[in-house]
Amino acid sequence: MRRAVALLFSGDAEVYGIALLTLKIGLIATVLACGLGIPVGFVLATRPFWGRRAALTVVNTALAFPTVVVGLLLYGVLSRRGPLGGLEWLYTWQAIVVGDVLLALPIAAALAAAAVQGVDPRIRRTAETLGAGRWRTAWTVAREARFALAAVITTAFGHVVAEIGSAMTVGGNIRGQTRTLTTAVALYTSQGDFGLALALGLILLLLALLVNVALQALQGRGHA
Amino acid sequence: MLELVGVRHRYDGRVVLDIERFAVAPGAGVAIVGPNGSGKSTLLRLLALLERPSEGEVRLGGVVVAGGKAARAGAGVRRRITLVEQRPVLLRGTVRENLEFGLQVRGVRRIEVNRRVESTAAQLGISPLLQRRRHELSDGEVQRVAVARALAVEPDSSADRAAAQTLYRALAEERARRPLAVCLASHQLEDAYRWADDVRALAEGRLSPVTPENLFRVELPASGSGGDLKHVCVGPIEIAATTDKTGPAILAVPPTDIFVSREPLASSARNVFVGRVTRLAHQRPGAVHVTADVGVELVAVVTEEAARDLGLTPGGPVVFSFKASAVRVF
Repeated sequence: MRRAVALLFSGDAEVYGIALLTLKIGLIATVLACGLGIPVGFVLATRPFWGRRAALTVVNTALAFPTVVVGLLLYGVLSRRGPLGGLEWLYTWQAIVVGDVLLALPIAAALAAAAVQGVDPRIRRTAETLGAGRWRTAWTVAREARFALAAVITTAFGHVVAEIGSAMTVGGNIRGQTRTLTTAVALYTSQGDFGLALALGLILLLLALLVNVALQALQGRGHA
Repeated sequence: MLELVGVRHRYDGRVVLDIERFAVAPGAGVAIVGPNGSGKSTLLRLLALLERPSEGEVRLGGVVVAGGKAARAGAGVRRRITLVEQRPVLLRGTVRENLEFGLQVRGVRRIEVNRRVESTAAQLGISPLLQRRRHELSDGEVQRVAVARALAVEPDSSADRAAAQTLYRALAEERARRPLAVCLASHQLEDAYRWADDVRALAEGRLSPVTPENLFRVELPASGSGGDLKHVCVGPIEIAATTDKTGPAILAVPPTDIFVSREPLASSARNVFVGRVTRLAHQRPGAVHVTADVGVELVAVVTEEAARDLGLTPGGPVVFSFKASAVRVF
């Protein structure tokens, strides 16, 4: 433990490199997953269309998709003979981002749908009868659901930085290139370097805390 | 002209509204009265284009804007109509922001937005509330803000569930100022008459073919020995009606078909009820609405002359008579 704390404050280049890479991957994946998933959740919650119930079931099932299986499928797609082999993304940080987006997308969609369904239906009707168009109406509903939608973003980010199965499979845990906090923790633990593993674990927690604090600051105060 | 034509609206397969034609003319004041669950809210939601009728059409100025082959009504069409719900909600933010909302989505200029917000707020007496937020308002204040919010955007017609005096006054003022059609739902007949130039009754999703007074929801007994003449329980009294229907129905006694007298008359009328006058109201020149408690409340319409000759006074005795064949059952 003492070694862990010492490492945290030593400014060890490798430790910080791993942390920065994790933050970069986590932020990009969260932005992409929420950017796509939250609108999907809105549509699922508000537009009555054929097969909507089936779509919701699919999304909710995808929540339970094992990360290693996502990694495995993505591996097949990105491997040299796979359909997207030409990108040569296998064992790069981009591959980890793609895997994380696939994992976080159903989370963002399902939780956003729940958040929107939780808004008083009169809000939507009010916006419409006051003449708001589709986008303004959606924005008005989103404002009412802002706490729940913020929770969607933090949950997605938490999932992305904490997952290991996909990052290990398609990233390969290459030192200095695709080694993230979780894959590093797994590696150092198996090598018996508990101090280093613990230090990295603490950084992971710290990242999650920072993102939450930043989001709360963005939301502002006030309760109505 | 805002119209519903051939509308049959269903929720989960159940028909909740069945209307051949319902029209709100430009500048008209229409009140819809009817008991709870009679379809008033559904009717208003269809008029406000919040729902598409399962069958039939909504037309605005003769153009189909919902139902049939019409696409979802665009914001441009919806901006000509607005709705104030029975229990309205305010959007997040201050009262002022709520009043600004509809103006902003229409791209009204800032100076004009401020002018209209101030004048509408003054009209409804909510100027001191402009900086408040929704949790700092009473239910009555929320209603007034909701009406102000709807009027600020100057729609062509407004469907309304509100029922307080200030609101009636504000609506009347607004209608005097510019053409605004208002369609208002209420279960209070008196409110409706005080305010509207056209009162229509809704019962079980259908427009009543008669005026909205003296409507009762009844259970018709099976046909007995008396042929089609049935004695139907309405509260504590029994009304004789001729009908071949059985089971649940709406029973209506047209107010102009009721004979009003001081003493029971020897006549062919099967229905004779003795009671007391509870209210005398002059609705139209020359006509007096006599409301009497005869076990249930019944309204009869007589001429001013007849009312004077009979010496009707509130609290005084009165007899209502009408023929069984005058009773409408549907």
